[in-house]
Amino acid sequence: MTEQRPTRPPERSLKLLHGGKAVEDARRMAELAVTCCDTECRQAASMAAWELAENLLKYGASDPTKSAGTIAISVDKNLVRVRTTNTVHSPNDARRVQETVSKISSSPSARDLYRERLLELFGDPAQHRAQLGLLRIAFEGSFKLSCSFEPPLLEIVAERSCAGQ
Amino acid sequence: MDLQVARPISVESLRLRLTSAAELELAGSLATPTAQRELSEILTALHTRIVEQRIPLFTVDVRSLNFVNSSAIRVFVDWIARAESSAYKLTFITERGITWHRLSFSVLRSLAPSTVEVIEKNSAGVGGQAS
Repeated sequence: MTEQRPTRPPERSLKLLHGGKAVEDARRMAELAVTCCDTECRQAASMAAWELAENLLKYGASDPTKSAGTIAISVDKNLVRVRTTNTVHSPNDARRVQETVSKISSSPSARDLYRERLLELFGDPAQHRAQLGLLRIAFEGSFKLSCSFEPPLLEIVAERSCAGQ
Repeated sequence: MDLQVARPISVESLRLRLTSAAELELAGSLATPTAQRELSEILTALHTRIVEQRIPLFTVDVRSLNFVNSSAIRVFVDWIARAESSAYKLTFITERGITWHRLSFSVLRSLAPSTVEVIEKNSAGVGGQAS
């Protein structure tokens, strides 16, 4: 008897290179993948692809000759999934991302976390980075986030249901 | 880049138009560091002008601002902080059909409820709702 492996729905994927219009390309790929979804879901997928792609370019491999990571999107049975993978050289960096994702995914209210972060920025305009991307994906996009690290690969998955297919 | 009434300017895919001394329209998208930096500088100059001219209420129509990245939200946070410390009010006119307007502006308003008003309009229908 042949063992049945769980299959992933077909994905569109893109390797992100530094420079050029990599983030815009990721967003366009997401928009093409979700043309059959409702407006809210299309806006959410587009925003999530943009934010995740930007994070890859900000925090992924900085060698301009190599890809910063890969972004993929799939739509299957009313579930939209945006997934990024990238090589992480410092386990501490991976741990920080895992902690952030864990904090967001275990919170009963993404809105409260988002507001908390905006309040921090409001009270301290000197803070260099907004660090709102993942929060926005969870709050505005209603995505559920998860994260895994199998050295050296870090994977972030954002999933949301879509009623409009 | 100096913003003058009825003289629209573009920063990459972002369009700005001062329709009067007390109203700004933003349209397009705002998602690159260059556009954010330039918008920040324009808004800093605009803030100075609002304070100098003692404009008590400034309106920002973002209905056609379709897309921003998370760093761009920061631009609005900073403007709200400045408006609050200078005691003028900001009214944002938003589009109900755009998810980030509906969700993020309600949170932005909660940062300084006595400074920020949000008027949500529905381009598909009639009327609006203030909060």
